[in-house]
Parts: sequence; structure tokens; C-alpha cells
Amino acid sequence: MERNRPVLALWPATLARLVLGGVFVVAGLLKLPDPAAAVRAVRAYRLLPEALVGPVAFGLPVLEIAVGVALVAGVFVRTAAIASAVLLTVFVVAVGSAWARGLQIDCGCFGNGGQVAAGDTAYPAEVARDVGLLIVALALARWPRSRLALGHLITGPSTEKELSRAR
Amino acid sequence: MPADGKSGSSKRAAAQRRIAEKRAAEAAARAHAERRRRTVIGSAVAAVLVLVAVVVGIVVQTQRTSAPAKLAIPAHTVDSGYAIPVGTAGAKVTVDLYEDFQCPNCKAFEDASGSTLARFVAAGTVQARYHGMAFLDTAANHNYSTRALNAAGAVVDDAGSTAFQKFHLLLFANQPPETGGGLSDAQLTSYAHQAGATDAKVATEIKDLTFGEWVKASTDQASKDGVTSTPTVLVDGKRLTDLSPAGLTAAVNTAKG
Repeated sequence: MERNRPVLALWPATLARLVLGGVFVVAGLLKLPDPAAAVRAVRAYRLLPEALVGPVAFGLPVLEIAVGVALVAGVFVRTAAIASAVLLTVFVVAVGSAWARGLQIDCGCFGNGGQVAAGDTAYPAEVARDVGLLIVALALARWPRSRLALGHLITGPSTEKELSRAR
Repeated sequence: MPADGKSGSSKRAAAQRRIAEKRAAEAAARAHAERRRRTVIGSAVAAVLVLVAVVVGIVVQTQRTSAPAKLAIPAHTVDSGYAIPVGTAGAKVTVDLYEDFQCPNCKAFEDASGSTLARFVAAGTVQARYHGMAFLDTAANHNYSTRALNAAGAVVDDAGSTAFQKFHLLLFANQPPETGGGLSDAQLTSYAHQAGATDAKVATEIKDLTFGEWVKASTDQASKDGVTSTPTVLVDGKRLTDLSPAGLTAAVNTAKG
């Protein structure tokens, strides 16, 4: 039975949580100090009407930090993993569309205003990174149980029945 | 009777087991229900917290980015102060240039094609309109992008477009390396003087970032204009892809008809 899965099998999920969550927390934090640059980065995609550019530029980093903190702490891991997968899908689509439209922008993923030196775009690397993280997020959504997670502080200890079902 | 007694005690044991199992199942169900309840409450609280945080983030950051009511805009500028025109206003062709003084590709363009553009401007064929951007600030270069554009604002404010043109040329000719410490305020002031902005207030304006908010607003305006990479050169509004002297000459000749 999977319940008897070796304890070691839960460590990769911990690593996945820390990597994915860490990236989200850092990406969110780096967008906070220069809100004007965050606005320019969102506007640079030319996907949103001007009225939505500000709210997205300011709301997204907070969401990223929330998702990242949940993953790192190990609370609501499945929800946070699904949310991060949704965000990453949006990012991949947005960057891909900028690439396809021949825009000259930086993805603005880790702060800065989306501007680049002419011809200095990095679309393949940006898409590859996001797809890689997306795979981690989906795996974590499927197998959210891990070591060093604080979720039980909120929900209380799991019953054996739930444990077996969760796997 | 021993057989009966045995069967009786085993029945009792079985009944006790059943009761124990039932109790355990009930306890598990209760624990499960409790866990569910806590999960639902926890999720609701977390969702509300995230929502509040997002709203607070939007409000705070919106306030931080709202431009001050009174913005010091340099004189001798057009387009609500976001473009510095060089050359005759009635010129047949308008060339808009979006540049950051710290951008190496802008220096490469200026080194290669700047003199070609200057000849068109001198001949009265072209009016060049410089749109400043400052997005390459770092702690290491002491926010050189912003300081350089602010200095350019001080120069055009004090001494007009001819001085700006010279200052612009000097800054690109002496562009500090992108990973370096930027030019000092004293160096910027010295170039400003050299370009013809000799008023004593220029040094103060450079030091105090008098046009700092204008620098931010200009950078935002470039973003609103759809410019995301530098240099961006528009010949009569059309983006120039071949930034070589030949490319620029061909585009200007086409535009002038």
C-alpha cells in the first residue's frame, strides 16, 4: 500500500515546494520597490487596456508572494500549486504572444520595466524557465504531500483514511 | 458447558470488538469532520487575507506612482514636455528618438548614425525629437540613467536645444560602462558647461535632481508610446529597423518624398 511509501519519497515534494515557492516570493518582492517599472512591464505586453494595467501590475506581485509563502510554508499546498500553475500558464502565454508578435520586451518576471536594449530579448530562456516551473507546479498539485509542511497547524492531524485517500 | 462458556465469551469479545470498531469509526468520522471544518475556515480566512493584501497592494502602489501635481518640466520642450526638439520646427521629416544615456546600443547608434542625423538636422530636412528614458538605474551606477537625463533636462531648460544637442553628443561619446559607477555629478556639470549651459543653477539642478519627476514621467510616457527597447527611432512615426547611416538616410529620403 502507498501508505507505506518510504518517508524519503516525501522529500522531493518538499524541494519542489521550496523551489517553486522561493521563485514566486522573490519574483513578487522584486516587483514592489519600483511600481512605475511594474506598470511599464505589464503595459509592454500590449495585451491589457490601460485601465487594467495598474491593478494587474500592483496586484500580481502580492498574489505571487501569497502563493510563494503558502508553498514555502507548506499550507494549502495543493491550492497554491494549482494557483501557481495557472499563473505560470498565463505567463507562458503572455511571453509567447509577445515573442510571436515580434515585440522587443523583457518579460519583467523579476521586476524591471520590461524594456530591453534593441535585439536583446530572451524569449526562449524565459519560456523554458516558466514551462519547467509549470511542470513542478503540476507535479506538486498531483502529489502535494511533503515533509516540513505546516499545513497540519491549520487543519489538525490527518486521519489514516484521509492519508490513504490523499495518495 | 465449557464449550458454551467459550462461545459466550467469544461472542462477548466479538461484540466488544464491534463496538470498539464502531467507536473508532465514529471518532475517525468526527476527526474527519473537524478537519474538514478547519480546512474550510482556514481556506476562507486565507482567501480573505489574500484578497485584502491584493487590494492594499493596489491602493498603496497606485498612490506611490501617482505623479505629483506640480511637475518641474524643462523649458524648450514639446509634447507636454516629453520631447526635446532639435532643428527647425517646419522641417519636412520628423525623427523621434527614444534613448537612455546608459544604453550601449544607443551609444552604438549615436556613434554610427548620429552625425548623419545631425547633417539632416543642420540642412533643415529633419527635426529630431529626443525622448528620454531612464530604466538602467542601478545602485552600482548611482542611478546614472536618471541623473544623466535630469542633467539633460537642466541643460535644455537653461540653454535650449543647441546646448542640449552638444550635451547629448558629449554624454554618448563619454558613456560610462554599463557595469561602472556612472559619471559623477561634477562630470555631468562640467559637460553641461562645455555644452553651453553655463548658469550656476545648472550644477544645483544636477545635484538636486530638480527634473527627477520629469525623468520618471518621461520614462512612463515612452512606455505609453509603446516603446520598450532602446534605441527606438521613428522616421515620421515609422519605426526604423536598419539603424545604420544608410538605413537612416534611405528612410529620411523616402519620408521627405
